[in-house]
Amino acid sequence: MRYADFTPYDIVLLLQGLGVTLALFIGTTLIGLAIGLLLAVVHHYRIPGCRPVIVLVTEALKNSPVLVQLFLVFFGIPAFLHIRMTPVEAATLTISLNTAAFAFVVFRSGIESIDRDQIEAAKVFGLDRSQILRFVIAPQAAAFSVGPLVGILVNQLQVTSLISVIGVFDLTKIGNILNLRTLQPFIVWAVIGLIYYLAAKTLALAGSRVEAALRKSVKWGGI
Amino acid sequence: MIVAENVEKRFGDALVLKHVNLRVEPGEVVTILGASGSGKSTLIRCINGLEALSGGKITVDGHDVSTKAGLVAARRASATVFQLFNLYPHMTALRNITLAPIEVLKLPKAEAEARARALLEKVGLGAHADAYPQQLSGGQRQRVGICRALAMQPRYLLLDEVTSALDPEMTGDVLRILAELAADGTTMVFVTHEIEFARHISSRIVFLEQGELIVDLPTAQFFAEDGGLAVPRIRQFLSKMKKD
Repeated sequence: MRYADFTPYDIVLLLQGLGVTLALFIGTTLIGLAIGLLLAVVHHYRIPGCRPVIVLVTEALKNSPVLVQLFLVFFGIPAFLHIRMTPVEAATLTISLNTAAFAFVVFRSGIESIDRDQIEAAKVFGLDRSQILRFVIAPQAAAFSVGPLVGILVNQLQVTSLISVIGVFDLTKIGNILNLRTLQPFIVWAVIGLIYYLAAKTLALAGSRVEAALRKSVKWGGI
Repeated sequence: MIVAENVEKRFGDALVLKHVNLRVEPGEVVTILGASGSGKSTLIRCINGLEALSGGKITVDGHDVSTKAGLVAARRASATVFQLFNLYPHMTALRNITLAPIEVLKLPKAEAEARARALLEKVGLGAHADAYPQQLSGGQRQRVGICRALAMQPRYLLLDEVTSALDPEMTGDVLRILAELAADGTTMVFVTHEIEFARHISSRIVFLEQGELIVDLPTAQFFAEDGGLAVPRIRQFLSKMKKD
């Protein structure tokens, strides 16, 4: 087999890879944030028995390599439960849960950053739990959480590159393919790295825009 | 009527309230005096349900605060002003005041806001309706706190050391408003260190000593030689407070 040069079609390949990476990132972000938020609320309300479980699971997710988690989900779970799992399913599940674990920590500290005093005042004035959550806790916790969340998501975008290992055709996998075909690793990985960089930078920029807008509209000096 | 019968409150091993009995009739202004740590604030927090009783019973207009439904009704009848204001920092003064009327009393927004503006006007903060707590001074924040309580149209106003965090000038502003409320016949339970003011506005004064309610007298009698001053502990407490 002869090694081939780059072709214009490679740009389409790269775009496809980027598309897969972004789609997976956006999907897992939405799922992860939703689960993280849910966990933080459940944790806040001290629903019996839930706290230790939540803390144990999120700690495990935060303190073990994502690649190991990915292998466990993709190879381990199907073998153990005798089910089939596609690479995309395994990747979605793993990254979503991983994002959820980090988002949980941010949301939890957002909730905990709120003075107990205000919550006591709201209780005394007759607001119920869900009203206190909605009117007192959520707006302040959200403002508190935006900055740290953007940081986490920029990191999670890079983490998605690991899913190429289990055979998802993301940007990194495309890089692999191009590299094998052209044997030009310096060019291939520089370009792939640059694309990740640009995507991450765009995300960070958008995040700081949102934060700035919030800061401007939030006159109470909460963030 | 607020009735406390044999109220007991423990924090771990510490007995903070010991068999406290207290009745507050509509129209009365009852001041609770006592040294720091004597249980004054705890008693208020038991009345508004922020602390669960360890023993005894408290009812507000017959609603038992230790039952869930009773607490909801009791909280509807009373409103609390806090020492450290406890305003919602992310809401304007106006929104701080209208939140509970709109969400709990289900008042239409326009009506709640009109009432809130009238209250702010009354306490001299008409121009500050759209200010956030952070933009207000301590005295202004506490006046917003009072408006927030009054907006619930409570039958009983619970005031927990509402001037302790304020400098003397701001204290004067807040006390003036409370004196007006007292003159209007607002029922108040007033925890304070402002003895002269208490003497001026209270109908009754009770004295807590290490969790025990040792004296409960009409104001004039409390300060009389053959009344409260005949109790050595009270004489000592009052003379100390005067020196400070």
